[in-house]
Order: sequence, then structure tokens, then C-alpha cells
Amino acid sequence: MSSQAVANVGRFGPRDRETFFDAQRRNRRATWRMTFFCFIAALSMGIPLTLLLSPLIYAVLLIGAEIYNYYSPLPREFWLQVENLARLAQRVGNFIFNHKPIDPQSAILGSLVLLLPGILLSIVLWLTVLTLFRRGGVGGALLNLCARQPTQTDLKELQLADVIQEMAIAAGVPAPQVRLVDGAGANAAAIGTGINDAQIVISRRLLDVLNREELEGVLAHLIASVGNGDLRIAFTVTSIFEAYGLIETLINSPFGPQARSTIWHILRYAFLRSKDSRAREAEIVAGLLAGNVGLASDDIDHFFQSGSSKPSIIWKILNFVFLPILITNLAIRLILWFFSTTALEPAVAFLWRTRQYLADAGAVQLTRDADGLASALRKLDQQNTSVPGDGWASHLFIVSPGRSDRMQETAPTPEAMQRFAKAWASSAGLTTTVVGSSVSGDFKTEIGRVRHAALQGDAGAIARLYAFGQAMAAAEGGTLPFKMPDPADVVAARNGDPAAIERLRPLIARAYAGQQSQLQEEKQNGLQADGFVSFHPPLKRRLVRLERMGARISLPDASGNSRTIRIIVSVFLAPLITLVVAVVLMLIAAMTMLSLLLLTLWLGAIHGIFSLLAHH
Amino acid sequence: METSIAVIAFIVAFVIFLVWMIIAFNGLVRMRNRVRNGWSDIDVQLARRHDLVPNLVETAEGYLQHERSVLDDVTQARSQAVVPAANIPQRALAEASLTGALSRFFVRVENYPNLRAAENMKLLQEQLTSTENRIAFARQHYNDEVMNYNTARLSFPRNLLAGFFGFPPATMFTADPNDRERVEVQLSSSSRP
Repeated sequence: MSSQAVANVGRFGPRDRETFFDAQRRNRRATWRMTFFCFIAALSMGIPLTLLLSPLIYAVLLIGAEIYNYYSPLPREFWLQVENLARLAQRVGNFIFNHKPIDPQSAILGSLVLLLPGILLSIVLWLTVLTLFRRGGVGGALLNLCARQPTQTDLKELQLADVIQEMAIAAGVPAPQVRLVDGAGANAAAIGTGINDAQIVISRRLLDVLNREELEGVLAHLIASVGNGDLRIAFTVTSIFEAYGLIETLINSPFGPQARSTIWHILRYAFLRSKDSRAREAEIVAGLLAGNVGLASDDIDHFFQSGSSKPSIIWKILNFVFLPILITNLAIRLILWFFSTTALEPAVAFLWRTRQYLADAGAVQLTRDADGLASALRKLDQQNTSVPGDGWASHLFIVSPGRSDRMQETAPTPEAMQRFAKAWASSAGLTTTVVGSSVSGDFKTEIGRVRHAALQGDAGAIARLYAFGQAMAAAEGGTLPFKMPDPADVVAARNGDPAAIERLRPLIARAYAGQQSQLQEEKQNGLQADGFVSFHPPLKRRLVRLERMGARISLPDASGNSRTIRIIVSVFLAPLITLVVAVVLMLIAAMTMLSLLLLTLWLGAIHGIFSLLAHH
Repeated sequence: METSIAVIAFIVAFVIFLVWMIIAFNGLVRMRNRVRNGWSDIDVQLARRHDLVPNLVETAEGYLQHERSVLDDVTQARSQAVVPAANIPQRALAEASLTGALSRFFVRVENYPNLRAAENMKLLQEQLTSTENRIAFARQHYNDEVMNYNTARLSFPRNLLAGFFGFPPATMFTADPNDRERVEVQLSSSSRP
């Protein structure tokens, strides 16, 4: 990034400019590059997986064949063929490990034998997932939010409806339906399967925060992204994760009730009729499936525990018999988790970022004005942007939901500090005329002191806090979002008054529930959960690109310090990370070998058992 | 043996050429239809404006007793624009005079804080602003489609097809310099109630 890009807007002189058409072309080319990387990542995840899956499939097939053979013997050619295939695979193994030479034809056939069943199974599962979820599209969970239509009598909502129509006209696409969500966060997302049935979910707070031009920019971005086919891309990407999750669920199903209930959900979903509940159920199932791609599932532990609680001999035998499958299961899960976190998720995140840049350029094309979107992004960076239920759909939103909320909690704006200080002073019956940083420092420590005293049970402190709450409510022009407990009640409750405790109980429950739901939301953040690469491009880069397209904004300062710190940290971390990655890869290789070995032994044992039975 | 390979190669090449021609032709057809669609979209938005104007006049009538001339201007311009005109330049002229009358009307409205603050006036103003925006965006979209069509039409190898099958060039929408009426802004306070 040249030093030009970080200077103030009041600078004269030539600047790097880029038309939005060029920006769009550049981003479309970049999309192809990113797709290629995603493909490589999926492949790198798939190959070890198929190496493990194929023996498992062979094992299952052979068991079936053995059972069939026991009742009506299979022709001898069949067993000869099986032996030939096994020998081919063995030759490939020899070539890799013992460097025994091998002719190309056997090499190809041997690798096909090793890889083909796994590949076929993966493709079949992926196609299943695609067809199952195609109707539902992406983002269906957001439909759960009791979203409503904009009313024609409210000015802001009328503006919203108008702006959507205007942007749809500029883009030449049918206007998507709008659903409004009431809530504290300001954000907007596009959901659905494509242009013809896309819906835009937008929170009411966004309308209050942005003016008409900024709203135009945001909606132009969403409509441009829908028009570019981002919903389909999101769907395909999610389907890849879901396919891997399905593989893992199937592997887990003999062991755990969680996996079995997931399969039950899938079957139930496959037979649903109505479109809306389809979409919602799709989201739930998708979450279950893709959430399974990880080590979080505790089915195996469940299995072991139940095994230990019933130490009968049957369980011990079953444990022993199923050991290879257990090891395979663990190896598969380790592979999926590792490659998903290090290869697939970052590749997909970078692909999605490129699409976001493309949608930004598309927004400039639609509005012919980059200022609106730029100032909207700026404003949203300061806002709380979390919308309830944003879990799996978080990448569909225009700005990352929830991040700025956590950042903002540590630093209230100066105006907010003034209001707090005034409310605090008035709660003590004083009026203050001096508000500034010195006062804020004082009153923060003072509030801390009073809160401490209140926690000890000081009635005066409790009353003071209550008065503070009232003053804040009056200053905010209405009621606070939560209800403050009556100080008399609190005092009485501390002394053991049961009626007061009863009155306080719902308040406590609600506060606790609020905290719980926030924790729940943070856990549920779907695709972005374990990833260290955000799906949303950083604000600064978006603003720089918009500025190149003609936005008249002043860019946020890039502090040179943070850059050097990042470089130093990454220089130190790089060898450490490489070491960790190498260790995990070796662990994966070891587990793969182990499971292959165990599977082979298992197959041999089963073959032996069946041939013994056949001889009787 | 070699002639049969040559024949097969020729057939394959011919089939590929046919397939390309079909795809390219359909692409040109699609773009030309988008251009036509874009043109009629502009008409749709203009008609929408015609429909909104009576509402506007009715809402403002109570407040603007002393400004009958402005209201009459708007009504008259609207009735002229609704009548289907003989050719496009005349229609463009009628629409432009309606735009001018509306702009003058809204400038007057600024002087009447009661009218300005009335809820339904705000909603109506928003609807009219949006209509003007929609007309502008429809024209912009039309121009974008014309650009795409002309580019495709002229780039090699499609220009051969276009010439052969008769795909004429499309013209962009430009603002006629005669349309740009100047809106008079009254800075005197003589019209205050």
C-alpha cells in the first residue's frame, strides 16, 4: 500500500484512480484464482480422507460379500479379482514405502483401487447435500427472527422500500423482498438462492443510523452481490463443509446418539413440504452437519463411558471388535479438523473477501457514487452490528456482526461520558457544569467505589445506583432496555424477605438469560468459529478501494507501529507454527497408518472367521 | 485413412463453429432485448410520476392558497405529459417541463414549515424524490445495457455476426441541453404566510 493511500483527503495532486468497471474485472479474475486455491484445499482435505475411507468401504463390502458367500457361495473369479486388486494396492504401497519399482499401468490402477471408493462416496454425499439443500438456499435461519415487512407510513421504512426499488432498477433485476428485524444491532444481509427469490434482511436500527445515501450504498452492495451470484457461491461453499460433516456424521453414527439424531433430522428434512420451514430446517441441519466438522463432537467419549459403565464381557468384545473403526473414526476427524481449519477455511475466507470487494465495486456502479457506501461502512464500524441468529449466516452480512460491539464496550464516546457524568451528578442531587476527561476519571472511580459498597449491602449506595439508573433513563429519553431493581427490594432481599426475593427473581433470570444467549451466539458463529481469517475484509482496505473508485473520505490513520509489531510477531511465530503443523501432520500420518493396519488385520480376521465357518 | 481423419477434423471444427455461432447470436439477442427492456422501464417510471402528481396537488392545496400559480403549473405540465406525444423529442420536452414544475413547487414548499412538516407531505415528497431517482436509475441502467450491447456488437469476432444478422447499434440516453430548465430560487421573503 503506497504512502499516498493513507494521506488525508485534503491533499492535492494525482492519485491512483480506478474505475469501478476495472475494479470489477480485477476482482472477477481474482475470484478465479481464489476458487483454484479452494479447490486445492478441498483436494488436500479429500485425499487423506479417501485413503482412510476406501479401506472402510472395502471392509464393509467384503463383510457383505462374506456373509453372502456363507449362504450361497460366490464364483471363484470374484475372489480372484479381489486378490488381484489387493495385490495392486499392495504394490503401490511397496512403491511408496519400500521404493520397489512399479510400472505405470499398475501404479495407476493401484492408486485407483486405493482412492476410488472414497472419492465416489464423497462425491455421492456431496451431491446428496447439494440436492437436499438447494431449495433452502442460504441464510434460512434469519427467517426465524419474526421479520416483518416495512410499513408504508413510517418515513424511514418508506425510504427503505423506495431505495430497494431504485437499486433494483439500476441493476435491472427484480427487487428482492425486504424483511425488517427489530433489535439492537445495525446490519443487513441478503439471503436466498439467487436473484429471483432473494430476500434482504435488514435491522431497523440500520435505518436509524444511516442516511439515505448511505442506505443506498449498503443496499446497492447487497443487490450487486446477489446479482453477481454470491448466494450460489455461498451455497456451494457451505455444501462442501456440509458434505464433510455428513461423512463425519455417518462415521460417528454407530457410536453416538448425537450423530444419529442428526441423521434423523436430515431424513425428516428431506421430506418437508413447505418452503419456509424447509429453509429453516435447512439451516438447522446445515449447522448440525457443518458443526460436526471438528473435534467437538463427544460421541466417542459417550461410547467409551457407556462401555465402562457396563463392564460386561459383551461390551469388551464389542470394544475390541470395533477398535479399527474407532481409530479410523478418530483419524478421519483429526484430518477433517486440521485441514478444514488450516486450508479450507482460509481459502474460502479469501474467496469470500474477493466477492465482497466485487460487490463493493458493483455498488459503486449502481449508485455511481462511492461516498455513500464508504461513509456507511465507517459509521457501521462504530456501531453494534450483531443481529440475533446471525450464527451460520454471518458471512452474508455486509459488515461482520458483533465484532464492533465487543470493541466498543471498552471505550464509550465522549458524548456518552458526558451524559453518564451528568446523570451521576444529578443522582447525588448535585448539578455539574464541568465535564471533561478529568471529571470522567474521577467519576469512574467513584462509581466503582459506590458499586463495591452496594455489593456489601450499603443501603445508601444501593439507592444511589438506583437513582443513577433513573437519571440515565431520563437522559436517554425513555426507559432503559433492562429494568432496575427497586433498592428497597434489594435491601429486604439481603435480609431474607421472601416477597422481595420473589420480585427480584425474574429480573435476575432475565439478566442471566441475556448473558447466556450472548454466550450462545458467540459459540454459534458457524463458519467463522475456529477460523483465524475473517470472512469480511478489513474496513481499512475496503475504504482504500472505495477511495480509489472516487469516494471523498479521509482514511483512518495507519499506525506504522502496529505494522512493525505484526511483522516482528509473525517472524517469531512462523517457525513455531511450522513446527506445530509438522507435528500434527505426522500425527495424522501415524494415525492413518495405524488405522489402515488395523483395518487390514480386521479384514483378515473376518475373512478367516468366515472361511472357518464355511468349512464347517 | 488420412482423408477420413481430415474429414472428421473438418466436421468437428464445423460443429464447434456452429455451436459458437449459436451461443454468440443468442448472447447478442439477449443484450438487445435488455436494451429494449431498459427503454420501456424508463417509460414505466415516467408513468409512475404522472400518477403521483394529483396526490401531491391535493395534499398541498390546503396549505398553498397563495401559491395557486405553482400548483396550476404542475397540474398543467402533468396533463401535457400524460398525453402520448407524437415523437420522442416532444415527449422528452413534456417530461422535462414536468420536472421543472415539480422542482419549483418543492422550492416553494420550503417556505411553508407547516406544510413541510406535515407527515403525509413528507411521505409524498419522499415518493416523488424516489420517483425522480428511479427515472434517473432507469436511464442509467439503460445506458449500461447500451454500453454492453455496443461493446459486444463491435468486438471481434462478434462484429461479423452483428453485421450479417442485422443488429443495429443502440444510442445512449443523453440529456438534451434544451431540457435543462433553470429552477428559479426565490430568496426574498415576500411569499411567507
